[in-house]
Amino acid sequence: MSLALLFKDELNGFYRSKVMLALWVGLPAMAVLLYFLVDNIEGMSITFFTGIMVSSIGGLLTSVLIVVNILNEKEKKVYDLFLIRPIRRENLLLAKFGAVFLCVMVASFIAITLAAVLDSATEGYDVQEILSSMKDSLIITVSIMAINCSAGVLIGVFSPSVLVGVLLVLFGSNQLSSMVLLPMITGWGEMWMVGLASIGISALLLFGAALVFRHKEF
Amino acid sequence: MVGNSGEMVSVSGIYKRYKDLPVLLNLSFDIPKGSIFGYIGPNGSGKTTTIKIMTGLIRDFQGEVSIEGRSIRNWSSELSSTIGYLPQQTSLQEWRTVDQTLYTFGRLSGLQASEVDKRIKEVTEMLGIAEYRKRKVSKLSGGTLQKVGMAQAMLHRPKLMVLDEPVAGLDPESRVLFKNLFRQLSREGTTIFFSSHILSDIEDVADTIGILGQGRMRYMGSMEELRERVGRSTEVSLETVEPIPDDRLLESLPGVSKVERVADNRFHIILQENGQIDTVVDSAIRAVLAQGLHIRGIHPNRQSLESLYLSYTDGEGRP
Repeated sequence: MSLALLFKDELNGFYRSKVMLALWVGLPAMAVLLYFLVDNIEGMSITFFTGIMVSSIGGLLTSVLIVVNILNEKEKKVYDLFLIRPIRRENLLLAKFGAVFLCVMVASFIAITLAAVLDSATEGYDVQEILSSMKDSLIITVSIMAINCSAGVLIGVFSPSVLVGVLLVLFGSNQLSSMVLLPMITGWGEMWMVGLASIGISALLLFGAALVFRHKEF
Repeated sequence: MVGNSGEMVSVSGIYKRYKDLPVLLNLSFDIPKGSIFGYIGPNGSGKTTTIKIMTGLIRDFQGEVSIEGRSIRNWSSELSSTIGYLPQQTSLQEWRTVDQTLYTFGRLSGLQASEVDKRIKEVTEMLGIAEYRKRKVSKLSGGTLQKVGMAQAMLHRPKLMVLDEPVAGLDPESRVLFKNLFRQLSREGTTIFFSSHILSDIEDVADTIGILGQGRMRYMGSMEELRERVGRSTEVSLETVEPIPDDRLLESLPGVSKVERVADNRFHIILQENGQIDTVVDSAIRAVLAQGLHIRGIHPNRQSLESLYLSYTDGEGRP
Protein backbone atom coordinates (compact mmCIF):
# COMPACT_ATOMS: atom_id res chain seq x y z
CA MET A 1 0.00 0.00 0.00
CA SER A 2 2.72 2.47 1.00
CA LEU A 3 4.56 2.18 -2.33
CA ALA A 4 1.44 2.93 -4.36
CA LEU A 5 0.53 5.85 -2.12
CA LEU A 6 4.05 7.26 -2.17
CA PHE A 7 4.31 6.82 -5.93
CA LYS A 8 1.03 8.66 -6.48
CA ASP A 9 2.20 11.42 -4.17
CA GLU A 10 5.59 11.80 -5.83
CA LEU A 11 3.95 11.80 -9.24
CA ASN A 12 1.62 14.52 -8.07
CA GLY A 13 4.59 16.58 -6.95
CA PHE A 14 6.88 16.00 -9.89
CA TYR A 15 4.63 16.43 -12.88
CA ARG A 16 3.91 20.01 -11.83
CA SER A 17 7.46 20.92 -10.82
CA LYS A 18 9.33 23.64 -12.71
CA VAL A 19 11.95 21.26 -14.06
CA MET A 20 9.28 18.90 -15.33
CA LEU A 21 7.40 21.76 -16.93
CA ALA A 22 10.62 22.64 -18.76
CA LEU A 23 10.93 19.02 -19.90
CA TRP A 24 7.26 18.78 -20.94
CA VAL A 25 7.80 21.74 -23.24
CA GLY A 26 11.52 21.43 -23.89
CA LEU A 27 11.75 17.87 -25.15
CA PRO A 28 9.03 18.15 -27.83
CA ALA A 29 10.46 21.57 -28.76
CA MET A 30 13.82 19.89 -29.25
CA ALA A 31 12.29 17.56 -31.84
CA VAL A 32 10.93 20.53 -33.77
CA LEU A 33 14.23 22.41 -33.55
CA LEU A 34 16.18 19.39 -34.77
CA TYR A 35 13.80 19.10 -37.69
CA PHE A 36 14.42 22.66 -38.76
CA LEU A 37 18.09 23.05 -37.79
CA VAL A 38 19.71 19.74 -38.74
CA ASP A 39 20.25 19.04 -42.40
CA ASN A 40 22.31 15.91 -42.51
CA ILE A 41 22.54 13.44 -39.65
CA GLU A 42 24.40 10.72 -41.48
CA GLY A 43 21.33 8.91 -42.71
CA MET A 44 19.61 8.89 -39.33
CA SER A 45 15.96 9.76 -39.17
CA ILE A 46 14.89 12.78 -37.13
CA THR A 47 12.97 10.35 -34.92
CA PHE A 48 16.07 8.35 -34.07
CA PHE A 49 18.25 11.42 -33.65
CA THR A 50 15.61 13.02 -31.43
CA GLY A 51 15.60 9.87 -29.31
CA ILE A 52 19.34 10.14 -28.73
CA MET A 53 19.25 13.88 -28.03
CA VAL A 54 16.21 13.68 -25.76
CA SER A 55 17.64 10.81 -23.75
CA SER A 56 21.02 12.50 -23.46
CA ILE A 57 19.87 15.97 -22.44
CA GLY A 58 16.70 14.84 -20.68
CA GLY A 59 18.58 12.08 -18.89
CA LEU A 60 21.15 14.51 -17.54
CA LEU A 61 18.51 16.96 -16.37
CA THR A 62 16.51 14.18 -14.80
CA SER A 63 19.37 12.75 -12.80
CA VAL A 64 20.32 16.23 -11.60
CA LEU A 65 16.67 16.78 -10.64
CA ILE A 66 16.57 13.58 -8.59
CA VAL A 67 19.93 14.18 -6.91
CA VAL A 68 19.03 17.73 -5.90
CA ASN A 69 15.60 16.64 -4.74
CA ILE A 70 16.86 13.80 -2.56
CA LEU A 71 19.72 15.86 -1.12
CA ASN A 72 17.41 18.75 -0.28
CA GLU A 73 14.94 16.44 1.40
CA LYS A 74 17.74 14.73 3.30
CA GLU A 75 19.18 18.05 4.45
CA LYS A 76 15.80 19.38 5.54
CA LYS A 77 15.08 16.12 7.39
CA VAL A 78 11.92 15.58 5.36
CA TYR A 79 12.37 11.81 5.55
CA ASP A 80 12.18 11.70 9.36
CA LEU A 81 8.41 11.86 9.35
CA PHE A 82 8.18 9.10 6.76
CA LEU A 83 10.74 6.80 8.33
CA ILE A 84 9.05 6.67 11.72
CA ARG A 85 5.96 5.28 10.05
CA PRO A 86 5.39 1.63 9.20
CA ILE A 87 6.78 1.70 5.67
CA ARG A 88 9.68 0.05 3.94
CA ARG A 89 12.43 2.65 3.69
CA GLU A 90 13.32 1.76 0.10
CA ASN A 91 9.75 2.50 -0.98
CA LEU A 92 10.53 6.20 -0.63
CA LEU A 93 13.25 5.86 -3.23
CA LEU A 94 11.36 3.53 -5.53
CA ALA A 95 8.38 5.89 -5.53
CA LYS A 96 10.60 8.81 -6.43
CA PHE A 97 12.37 6.85 -9.15
CA GLY A 98 9.09 5.61 -10.61
CA ALA A 99 7.43 9.02 -10.60
CA VAL A 100 10.32 10.85 -12.26
CA PHE A 101 10.92 8.06 -14.74
CA LEU A 102 7.28 7.97 -15.78
CA CYS A 103 7.12 11.75 -16.16
CA VAL A 104 10.23 12.00 -18.34
CA MET A 105 9.20 9.00 -20.38
CA VAL A 106 5.85 10.57 -21.20
CA ALA A 107 7.63 13.81 -22.19
CA SER A 108 10.12 11.82 -24.26
CA PHE A 109 7.34 9.83 -25.92
CA ILE A 110 5.61 13.06 -26.94
CA ALA A 111 8.89 14.38 -28.37
CA ILE A 112 9.65 11.20 -30.29
CA THR A 113 6.10 10.94 -31.64
CA LEU A 114 6.32 14.54 -32.78
CA ALA A 115 9.64 13.79 -34.48
CA ALA A 116 8.06 10.77 -36.20
CA VAL A 117 5.26 12.95 -37.49
CA LEU A 118 7.80 15.45 -38.83
CA ASP A 119 9.82 12.61 -40.36
CA SER A 120 6.79 11.25 -42.15
CA ALA A 121 6.00 14.71 -43.47
CA THR A 122 9.49 14.94 -44.97
CA GLU A 123 10.34 11.41 -45.98
CA GLY A 124 6.91 10.17 -46.88
CA TYR A 125 4.49 8.09 -44.88
CA ASP A 126 5.87 4.60 -44.31
CA VAL A 127 4.21 3.14 -41.24
CA GLN A 128 6.64 0.25 -40.84
CA GLU A 129 9.68 2.45 -41.08
CA ILE A 130 8.28 5.06 -38.73
CA LEU A 131 7.27 2.48 -36.16
CA SER A 132 10.66 0.83 -36.35
CA SER A 133 12.42 4.15 -35.93
CA MET A 134 10.16 5.03 -33.02
CA LYS A 135 10.77 1.68 -31.38
CA ASP A 136 14.54 2.08 -31.53
CA SER A 137 14.32 5.64 -30.28
CA LEU A 138 12.12 4.63 -27.40
CA ILE A 139 14.37 1.75 -26.38
CA ILE A 140 17.36 4.09 -26.30
CA THR A 141 15.42 6.72 -24.40
CA VAL A 142 13.99 4.30 -21.85
CA SER A 143 17.41 2.74 -21.34
CA ILE A 144 19.30 5.96 -20.83
CA MET A 145 16.58 7.56 -18.72
CA ALA A 146 16.33 4.47 -16.50
CA ILE A 147 20.06 4.47 -15.83
CA ASN A 148 20.15 8.21 -15.24
CA CYS A 149 17.20 8.10 -12.86
CA SER A 150 18.54 5.16 -10.86
CA ALA A 151 22.05 6.64 -10.77
CA GLY A 152 20.49 9.91 -9.58
CA VAL A 153 18.77 8.05 -6.74
CA LEU A 154 21.99 6.31 -5.67
CA ILE A 155 24.06 9.49 -5.85
CA GLY A 156 21.37 11.41 -3.98
CA VAL A 157 21.37 8.86 -1.18
CA PHE A 158 25.10 8.81 -0.45
CA SER A 159 26.32 12.17 -1.72
CA PRO A 160 27.22 14.62 1.07
CA SER A 161 26.33 17.80 -0.83
CA VAL A 162 24.53 19.09 -3.90
CA LEU A 163 27.82 20.12 -5.53
CA VAL A 164 29.35 16.67 -5.14
CA GLY A 165 26.08 15.13 -6.30
CA VAL A 166 25.91 17.20 -9.48
CA LEU A 167 29.58 16.51 -10.27
CA LEU A 168 28.98 12.80 -9.83
CA VAL A 169 26.02 13.01 -12.18
CA LEU A 170 28.04 14.85 -14.81
CA PHE A 171 31.02 12.53 -14.65
CA GLY A 172 29.31 9.37 -13.54
CA SER A 173 25.74 8.70 -14.44
CA ASN A 174 25.89 10.50 -17.76
CA GLN A 175 28.90 8.47 -18.89
CA LEU A 176 27.43 5.25 -17.53
CA SER A 177 24.18 5.75 -19.37
CA SER A 178 26.03 6.47 -22.61
CA MET A 179 27.88 3.17 -22.31
CA VAL A 180 24.74 1.15 -22.93
CA LEU A 181 24.72 2.54 -26.46
CA LEU A 182 28.07 0.89 -27.19
CA PRO A 183 26.62 -2.37 -28.59
CA MET A 184 24.57 -0.37 -31.03
CA ILE A 185 27.30 2.11 -31.99
CA THR A 186 30.00 -0.52 -32.47
CA GLY A 187 27.61 -2.66 -34.45
CA TRP A 188 28.28 -5.89 -32.54
CA GLY A 189 25.06 -5.86 -30.63
CA GLU A 190 21.35 -5.66 -31.05
CA MET A 191 18.93 -3.10 -29.75
CA TRP A 192 17.43 -5.58 -27.27
CA MET A 193 20.86 -5.86 -25.65
CA VAL A 194 20.74 -2.15 -24.93
CA GLY A 195 17.40 -2.60 -23.20
CA LEU A 196 18.57 -5.60 -21.24
CA ALA A 197 21.79 -3.95 -20.15
CA SER A 198 19.94 -0.89 -18.97
CA ILE A 199 17.49 -2.95 -16.94
CA GLY A 200 20.37 -4.77 -15.27
CA ILE A 201 22.36 -1.63 -14.52
CA SER A 202 19.31 0.26 -13.27
CA ALA A 203 18.28 -2.59 -11.00
CA LEU A 204 21.80 -2.79 -9.60
CA LEU A 205 21.95 0.95 -8.95
CA LEU A 206 18.54 0.96 -7.27
CA PHE A 207 19.46 -2.04 -5.16
CA GLY A 208 22.62 -0.25 -4.03
CA ALA A 209 20.63 2.88 -3.22
CA ALA A 210 18.07 0.89 -1.22
CA LEU A 211 20.83 -0.87 0.69
CA VAL A 212 22.54 2.39 1.65
CA PHE A 213 19.23 4.08 2.48
CA ARG A 214 18.05 1.19 4.63
CA HIS A 215 21.03 1.53 6.95
CA LYS A 216 21.39 5.27 6.86
CA GLU A 217 20.94 7.33 10.02
CA PHE A 218 19.08 10.59 9.74
CA MET B 1 12.91 -7.39 27.70
CA VAL B 2 13.05 -4.08 29.51
CA GLY B 3 10.22 -2.34 31.27
CA ASN B 4 7.00 -3.40 32.90
CA SER B 5 3.32 -2.97 32.23
CA GLY B 6 3.17 0.44 33.97
CA GLU B 7 5.83 1.98 31.77
CA MET B 8 5.33 3.31 28.30
CA VAL B 9 9.04 3.85 27.68
CA SER B 10 12.01 2.24 29.31
CA VAL B 11 15.49 3.45 28.43
CA SER B 12 18.34 1.48 29.89
CA GLY B 13 22.08 2.14 29.71
CA ILE B 14 22.20 4.04 26.46
CA TYR B 15 25.58 4.95 25.08
CA LYS B 16 25.88 6.90 21.87
CA ARG B 17 28.84 8.64 20.31
CA TYR B 18 29.37 10.45 17.04
CA LYS B 19 32.86 9.49 15.93
CA ASP B 20 35.01 10.59 18.88
CA LEU B 21 32.34 12.69 20.51
CA PRO B 22 30.38 10.93 23.25
CA VAL B 23 26.80 12.22 23.41
CA LEU B 24 24.93 9.86 25.71
CA LEU B 25 26.67 8.09 28.57
CA ASN B 26 24.75 5.37 30.35
CA LEU B 27 21.43 7.14 30.02
CA SER B 28 18.55 5.41 31.77
CA PHE B 29 15.01 6.43 32.60
CA ASP B 30 11.44 5.16 32.56
CA ILE B 31 8.30 7.00 31.56
CA PRO B 32 5.02 5.88 33.13
CA LYS B 33 2.00 5.45 30.88
CA GLY B 34 -0.16 8.53 30.53
CA SER B 35 2.42 10.90 31.99
CA ILE B 36 3.78 14.12 30.57
CA PHE B 37 7.55 13.94 30.67
CA GLY B 38 9.52 17.16 30.25
CA TYR B 39 13.07 16.63 29.05
CA ILE B 40 15.47 19.51 29.66
CA GLY B 41 19.12 19.98 28.96
CA PRO B 42 21.62 22.49 27.63
CA ASN B 43 22.33 22.70 23.91
CA GLY B 44 24.25 19.69 22.71
CA SER B 45 23.43 17.65 25.79
CA GLY B 46 21.89 14.85 23.73
CA LYS B 47 18.16 15.55 23.88
CA THR B 48 17.55 15.20 20.15
CA THR B 49 19.80 12.13 20.00
CA THR B 50 17.71 10.52 22.75
CA ILE B 51 14.54 11.34 20.83
CA LYS B 52 15.92 9.97 17.57
CA ILE B 53 16.90 6.74 19.30
CA MET B 54 13.42 6.43 20.82
CA THR B 55 11.80 6.94 17.42
CA GLY B 56 14.05 4.49 15.63
CA LEU B 57 15.74 7.12 13.48
CA ILE B 58 19.08 6.30 15.08
CA ARG B 59 19.70 2.59 15.26
CA ASP B 60 23.39 2.45 16.00
CA PHE B 61 23.65 2.75 19.77
CA GLN B 62 24.45 0.65 22.82
CA GLY B 63 21.83 -0.11 25.42
CA GLU B 64 18.18 -0.95 25.34
CA VAL B 65 15.01 0.98 24.67
CA SER B 66 11.57 -0.52 24.89
CA ILE B 67 8.17 0.91 24.22
CA GLU B 68 5.27 -0.83 25.92
CA GLY B 69 7.68 -3.64 26.69
CA ARG B 70 8.71 -4.14 23.06
CA SER B 71 12.35 -3.59 22.24
CA ILE B 72 12.92 -1.05 19.48
CA ARG B 73 15.71 -3.30 18.19
CA ASN B 74 12.90 -5.32 16.64
CA TRP B 75 11.25 -2.38 14.94
CA SER B 76 7.82 -3.32 13.66
CA SER B 77 4.78 -1.73 12.06
CA GLU B 78 2.95 -2.07 15.36
CA LEU B 79 5.71 -0.19 17.15
CA SER B 80 5.70 2.57 14.53
CA SER B 81 1.97 3.02 14.91
CA THR B 82 2.40 3.46 18.67
CA ILE B 83 4.50 6.59 18.20
CA GLY B 84 3.67 10.10 17.06
CA TYR B 85 6.72 12.25 16.42
CA LEU B 86 7.23 15.97 16.02
CA PRO B 87 10.82 16.88 15.05
CA GLN B 88 12.62 20.00 16.18
CA GLN B 89 11.96 21.61 12.82
CA THR B 90 8.91 20.47 10.94
CA SER B 91 10.08 19.83 7.39
CA LEU B 92 7.50 18.76 4.87
CA GLN B 93 7.49 18.37 1.11
CA GLU B 94 6.71 21.89 0.09
CA TRP B 95 4.58 21.20 -2.96
CA ARG B 96 1.88 19.52 -0.88
CA THR B 97 -1.09 21.23 0.68
CA VAL B 98 -1.79 20.74 4.37
CA ASP B 99 -4.57 18.30 3.50
CA GLN B 100 -2.34 16.27 1.17
CA THR B 101 0.41 16.14 3.79
CA LEU B 102 -1.89 14.96 6.54
CA TYR B 103 -3.68 12.50 4.26
CA THR B 104 -0.42 10.81 3.27
CA PHE B 105 0.89 10.62 6.83
CA GLY B 106 -2.46 9.39 8.09
CA ARG B 107 -2.63 6.64 5.49
CA LEU B 108 1.00 5.65 6.03
CA SER B 109 0.28 5.39 9.75
CA GLY B 110 -2.41 2.84 9.03
CA LEU B 111 -5.62 4.87 9.04
CA GLN B 112 -8.29 3.91 6.53
CA ALA B 113 -9.09 6.42 3.78
CA SER B 114 -12.54 7.16 5.19
CA GLU B 115 -11.15 7.70 8.70
CA VAL B 116 -8.30 9.96 7.61
CA ASP B 117 -10.58 12.73 6.34
CA LYS B 118 -12.52 12.70 9.58
CA ARG B 119 -9.36 12.84 11.67
CA ILE B 120 -7.84 15.61 9.55
CA LYS B 121 -10.95 17.69 10.19
CA GLU B 122 -10.77 16.96 13.93
CA VAL B 123 -7.10 17.70 14.49
CA THR B 124 -6.94 20.79 12.28
CA GLU B 125 -9.91 22.24 14.17
CA MET B 126 -8.31 21.29 17.46
CA LEU B 127 -5.13 23.12 16.47
CA GLY B 128 -6.88 26.07 14.87
CA ILE B 129 -5.49 25.46 11.38
CA ALA B 130 -8.66 24.32 9.60
CA GLU B 131 -8.57 27.42 7.40
CA TYR B 132 -5.13 26.45 6.05
CA ARG B 133 -6.09 22.97 4.89
CA LYS B 134 -6.03 23.82 1.20
CA ARG B 135 -2.91 25.95 1.46
CA LYS B 136 0.49 24.77 0.26
CA VAL B 137 2.97 23.94 2.98
CA SER B 138 5.51 26.34 1.44
CA LYS B 139 3.10 29.23 2.04
CA LEU B 140 2.68 28.63 5.77
CA SER B 141 4.23 30.64 8.59
CA GLY B 142 6.61 28.92 11.01
CA GLY B 143 3.99 28.69 13.75
CA THR B 144 1.34 27.22 11.45
CA LEU B 145 3.86 24.76 10.08
CA GLN B 146 4.61 23.68 13.63
CA LYS B 147 0.90 23.09 14.16
CA VAL B 148 0.73 21.00 10.99
CA GLY B 149 3.67 19.04 12.41
CA MET B 150 1.72 18.54 15.62
CA ALA B 151 -1.34 17.50 13.60
CA GLN B 152 0.56 14.76 11.77
CA ALA B 153 1.99 13.53 15.08
CA MET B 154 -1.43 13.08 16.71
CA LEU B 155 -3.40 12.10 13.60
CA HIS B 156 -3.30 8.33 14.15
CA ARG B 157 -3.99 8.59 17.90
CA PRO B 158 -0.59 7.28 19.01
CA LYS B 159 -0.15 6.01 22.53
CA LEU B 160 3.17 7.81 22.82
CA MET B 161 3.96 11.26 21.47
CA VAL B 162 7.61 12.19 21.20
CA LEU B 163 7.96 15.92 20.65
CA ASP B 164 11.27 17.69 20.12
CA GLU B 165 10.92 21.27 21.33
CA PRO B 166 7.28 21.50 20.27
CA VAL B 167 6.61 25.00 21.60
CA ALA B 168 9.80 26.66 20.37
CA GLY B 169 8.98 29.48 17.99
CA LEU B 170 5.30 29.61 18.87
CA ASP B 171 3.52 32.76 19.98
CA PRO B 172 2.17 32.83 23.57
CA GLU B 173 -1.36 31.97 22.44
CA SER B 174 -0.17 28.92 20.55
CA ARG B 175 1.99 27.83 23.46
CA VAL B 176 -1.04 27.84 25.70
CA LEU B 177 -2.93 25.89 23.02
CA PHE B 178 -0.19 23.26 22.83
CA LYS B 179 0.08 22.96 26.61
CA ASN B 180 -3.67 22.54 26.96
CA LEU B 181 -3.52 19.94 24.22
CA PHE B 182 -0.80 18.03 26.08
CA ARG B 183 -2.96 17.99 29.20
CA GLN B 184 -6.00 16.85 27.24
CA LEU B 185 -4.09 14.07 25.47
CA SER B 186 -2.57 12.97 28.75
CA ARG B 187 -6.03 12.78 30.33
CA GLU B 188 -7.07 10.58 27.43
CA GLY B 189 -4.19 8.21 28.19
CA THR B 190 -1.54 9.38 25.76
CA THR B 191 2.00 9.47 27.10
CA ILE B 192 3.83 12.63 26.14
CA PHE B 193 7.59 13.02 26.06
CA PHE B 194 8.74 16.46 25.11
CA SER B 195 11.94 18.44 25.22
CA SER B 196 12.22 22.16 25.56
CA HIS B 197 14.55 25.00 26.29
CA ILE B 198 11.59 26.98 27.51
CA LEU B 199 11.74 25.81 31.06
CA SER B 200 8.62 27.57 32.24
CA ASP B 201 6.64 25.60 29.67
CA ILE B 202 7.87 22.35 31.09
CA GLU B 203 7.23 23.55 34.62
CA ASP B 204 3.66 24.40 33.64
CA VAL B 205 2.70 21.16 32.05
CA ALA B 206 5.07 18.28 32.84
CA ASP B 207 4.32 15.96 35.72
CA THR B 208 7.74 14.39 35.49
CA ILE B 209 10.96 16.18 34.63
CA GLY B 210 14.25 14.84 33.39
CA ILE B 211 17.35 17.01 33.33
CA LEU B 212 20.03 15.89 30.94
CA GLY B 213 23.57 17.13 31.31
CA GLN B 214 26.72 15.92 29.62
CA GLY B 215 25.03 12.82 28.33
CA ARG B 216 23.64 11.69 31.68
CA MET B 217 20.31 12.08 33.40
CA ARG B 218 21.14 14.52 36.18
CA TYR B 219 17.71 14.51 37.71
CA MET B 220 14.42 12.80 37.17
CA GLY B 221 11.31 13.29 39.24
CA SER B 222 8.52 15.74 39.96
CA MET B 223 8.92 19.50 40.31
CA GLU B 224 8.39 19.31 44.07
CA GLU B 225 11.02 16.63 44.40
CA LEU B 226 13.37 18.73 42.33
CA ARG B 227 12.91 21.71 44.61
CA GLU B 228 13.62 19.60 47.63
CA ARG B 229 16.61 17.99 45.99
CA VAL B 230 18.13 21.26 44.91
CA GLY B 231 17.65 22.44 48.48
CA ARG B 232 17.66 26.17 47.84
CA SER B 233 15.89 28.36 50.31
CA THR B 234 12.67 29.80 49.11
CA GLU B 235 11.99 33.39 49.83
CA VAL B 236 9.24 35.73 50.96
CA SER B 237 8.62 39.16 49.44
CA LEU B 238 7.49 41.80 51.88
CA GLU B 239 6.29 45.30 51.10
CA THR B 240 5.31 47.74 53.83
CA VAL B 241 3.60 51.11 53.59
CA GLU B 242 6.26 52.85 55.64
CA PRO B 243 10.00 52.21 55.36
CA ILE B 244 11.51 49.73 57.81
CA PRO B 245 14.46 51.53 59.38
CA ASP B 246 16.49 48.47 60.36
CA ASP B 247 16.94 45.14 58.52
CA ARG B 248 17.68 43.40 61.80
CA LEU B 249 13.99 43.46 62.57
CA LEU B 250 13.52 40.80 59.90
CA GLU B 251 16.92 39.11 60.09
CA SER B 252 16.34 38.21 63.71
CA LEU B 253 13.20 36.24 62.92
CA PRO B 254 13.43 32.46 63.38
CA GLY B 255 14.10 30.52 60.16
CA VAL B 256 15.42 33.52 58.25
CA SER B 257 18.75 33.10 56.51
CA LYS B 258 19.19 36.65 55.25
CA VAL B 259 17.27 39.72 54.18
CA GLU B 260 17.79 41.58 50.90
CA ARG B 261 16.54 45.16 50.86
CA VAL B 262 15.13 45.97 47.43
CA ALA B 263 13.82 49.41 48.43
CA ASP B 264 13.19 51.26 51.70
CA ASN B 265 9.90 49.44 52.12
CA ARG B 266 10.52 46.26 50.04
CA PHE B 267 12.44 43.17 51.15
CA HIS B 268 13.25 39.66 50.07
CA ILE B 269 13.42 37.44 53.11
CA ILE B 270 15.50 34.36 52.30
CA LEU B 271 14.50 31.33 54.31
CA GLN B 272 16.81 28.77 55.83
CA GLU B 273 14.60 25.81 54.94
CA ASN B 274 11.52 25.35 52.82
CA GLY B 275 9.45 23.94 55.63
CA GLN B 276 9.47 27.11 57.70
CA ILE B 277 7.77 29.37 55.23
CA ASP B 278 4.49 29.60 57.15
CA THR B 279 6.31 30.37 60.39
CA VAL B 280 8.41 33.10 58.77
CA VAL B 281 5.41 34.75 57.11
CA ASP B 282 3.53 34.69 60.40
CA SER B 283 6.40 36.04 62.48
CA ALA B 284 7.25 38.70 59.86
CA ILE B 285 3.70 40.01 59.95
CA ARG B 286 3.73 40.08 63.75
CA ALA B 287 7.10 41.82 63.91
CA VAL B 288 6.16 44.53 61.42
CA LEU B 289 2.79 45.21 63.01
CA ALA B 290 4.42 45.33 66.44
CA GLN B 291 6.51 48.22 65.18
CA GLY B 292 3.35 50.13 64.30
CA LEU B 293 4.02 49.76 60.60
CA HIS B 294 1.52 48.70 57.94
CA ILE B 295 1.88 45.87 55.44
CA ARG B 296 1.05 46.46 51.81
CA GLY B 297 1.78 42.90 50.72
CA ILE B 298 3.56 39.71 51.71
CA HIS B 299 3.85 36.53 49.67
CA PRO B 300 6.14 33.53 49.35
CA ASN B 301 8.22 33.40 46.15
CA ARG B 302 8.29 29.98 44.60
CA GLN B 303 11.46 29.32 42.75
CA SER B 304 11.03 28.86 39.03
CA LEU B 305 12.28 25.74 37.37
CA GLU B 306 14.78 27.91 35.55
CA SER B 307 16.52 29.02 38.73
CA LEU B 308 16.36 25.49 40.08
CA TYR B 309 17.66 24.10 36.83
CA LEU B 310 20.56 26.55 36.71
CA SER B 311 21.51 25.86 40.28
CA TYR B 312 21.29 22.15 39.65
CA THR B 313 23.43 22.22 36.56
CA ASP B 314 25.64 25.04 37.82
CA GLY B 315 25.18 26.73 34.49
CA GLU B 316 27.39 24.15 32.82
CA GLY B 317 25.30 21.07 33.06
CA ARG B 318 26.94 19.93 36.32
CA PRO B 319 24.96 19.22 39.44
